[in-house]
Amino acid sequence: MKLAQLAHPRQDYSYGFLDEFGKRELRRRMLKAVAIPGHQVPYASRELPIARGWGTGGLQVTLSLVGPGDTVKVIDQGADDSVNAANLRRFIARMTGVSTTADTLAATVIQSRHRVPEERLREGQALVLQVPDPEPLRRVQPDSSKALEMHADADYAQMWLSLYEQLVRFGRFVQGASYPVLVHGRYLMSPSPIPRWDTPDLHQAAHLTLLSAGREKRLYAVPPYTDVRPIEFEDVFFQVEQMVGRVCAVTGARNKFMDALPLAGGGSIFRISDTGYVAKLLDAARGKPATIGPTYYDDEGRFFQPGVLRDEGQARNGR
Amino acid sequence: MSPAETRQHATFTALLWALSYPGRPQRLPAGGRAAFAAIAEALLDLETGAFSPDAEFAALIARSGARLLPPQRAPYHFYPAPEADSLESIAAAPVGSYTEPELGATLVLSCHLGGPATLTLRGPGIAGSVRLRVGGLPEDLWLLRAERTRFPLGWDLLLIDGAEVVGLPRSTAVEVG
Repeated sequence: MKLAQLAHPRQDYSYGFLDEFGKRELRRRMLKAVAIPGHQVPYASRELPIARGWGTGGLQVTLSLVGPGDTVKVIDQGADDSVNAANLRRFIARMTGVSTTADTLAATVIQSRHRVPEERLREGQALVLQVPDPEPLRRVQPDSSKALEMHADADYAQMWLSLYEQLVRFGRFVQGASYPVLVHGRYLMSPSPIPRWDTPDLHQAAHLTLLSAGREKRLYAVPPYTDVRPIEFEDVFFQVEQMVGRVCAVTGARNKFMDALPLAGGGSIFRISDTGYVAKLLDAARGKPATIGPTYYDDEGRFFQPGVLRDEGQARNGR
Repeated sequence: MSPAETRQHATFTALLWALSYPGRPQRLPAGGRAAFAAIAEALLDLETGAFSPDAEFAALIARSGARLLPPQRAPYHFYPAPEADSLESIAAAPVGSYTEPELGATLVLSCHLGGPATLTLRGPGIAGSVRLRVGGLPEDLWLLRAERTRFPLGWDLLLIDGAEVVGLPRSTAVEVG
């Protein structure tokens, strides 16, 4: 008997960088998160060669989820080419051997910071969102053990009160990104800092959404075909960002989520935030083959599932 | 990827999609008793514990490093050959608490898909409703499940037939008939 026969062949690192115990623990937690939609499941959050707060939560989920047959897209604020996205993508590809893409339709796993792509995700795709703060009750209850009890009791009265206070003070809901949602009618959940524009995308979606906060060591999930409702009053509705009148300076498209680019002399021009989508629109305009999938919002700004955005009519009239 | 890593990854993704789309069979990398072994390999290590009434399978669990626990404390239950008295230990399985519902157990049971009993499933992961034909499970399992499952409390079921696995998370409403 030789030592070489007993030992594993030498590897500089485990598949997906995380050790076997780390991956198994994450996988156990992910299965529980899917079984309890919207509930924050604690996990150990291993060390990675990037700092906590730079997407380590999403990265750990992606690394324990993908196999060599997967195709991964990484975006940061909609962009495939920003520093954070490019580095995470390179790291994931080096550690797991996955192929990478900027095309939403070609990806099996999409890791994202702060956006859901414009094109609709389909069954079997997984969206991994990086979460800075998983606790939607933080603003009304800074003590996390008390917040845990509030989740246990489904006691969200303080959240409704803060919503009411916003209305009284400002005349509208002032929460921009990470607008709190009620998942499966039970858990209040922070959808990570995606703009309100993307919040309805999670409602009765065909894809699986996994959300993970590396610094806060909690992960949670929205399974496919699950009710995800932004909190709103019966007479004052949740609204998405106003995109009326904004025209993309690159593609000429309307009614998609736009980045505002400030001009030197004041004012601003707009550009679609989802760069993978922009690239496909440009290819199509130049006559190159491009498969553009159906989008969450059509060119008139209507959401694809009727009745989800109850304020849609008023918002388009520029209330 | 080593063969063990490939197996564990394939098993995990099958379980993830099984729980994401309840009632839809997913394919495991191994069948029969080997399917149970694959799930134990993918999920168990010395950081967790498990229970199985099957002595042979319990020995396999012990080799993974996981502690063998009594049914009321075990987060993972394995029933490669469920019998009538399995219901006693299933009834003892933890359902979690309101502050920590994730401590509710995962039960892995063998079954016959396409069996006599027809279930109608509704809930997260299911667009509308889906019908599932399943048999070979202890009688009164569905009655017991209805009793023990109060979302977010309850157990998550993984039903194994050959190399196929069907997930029934606690969020799924099961109607017999």
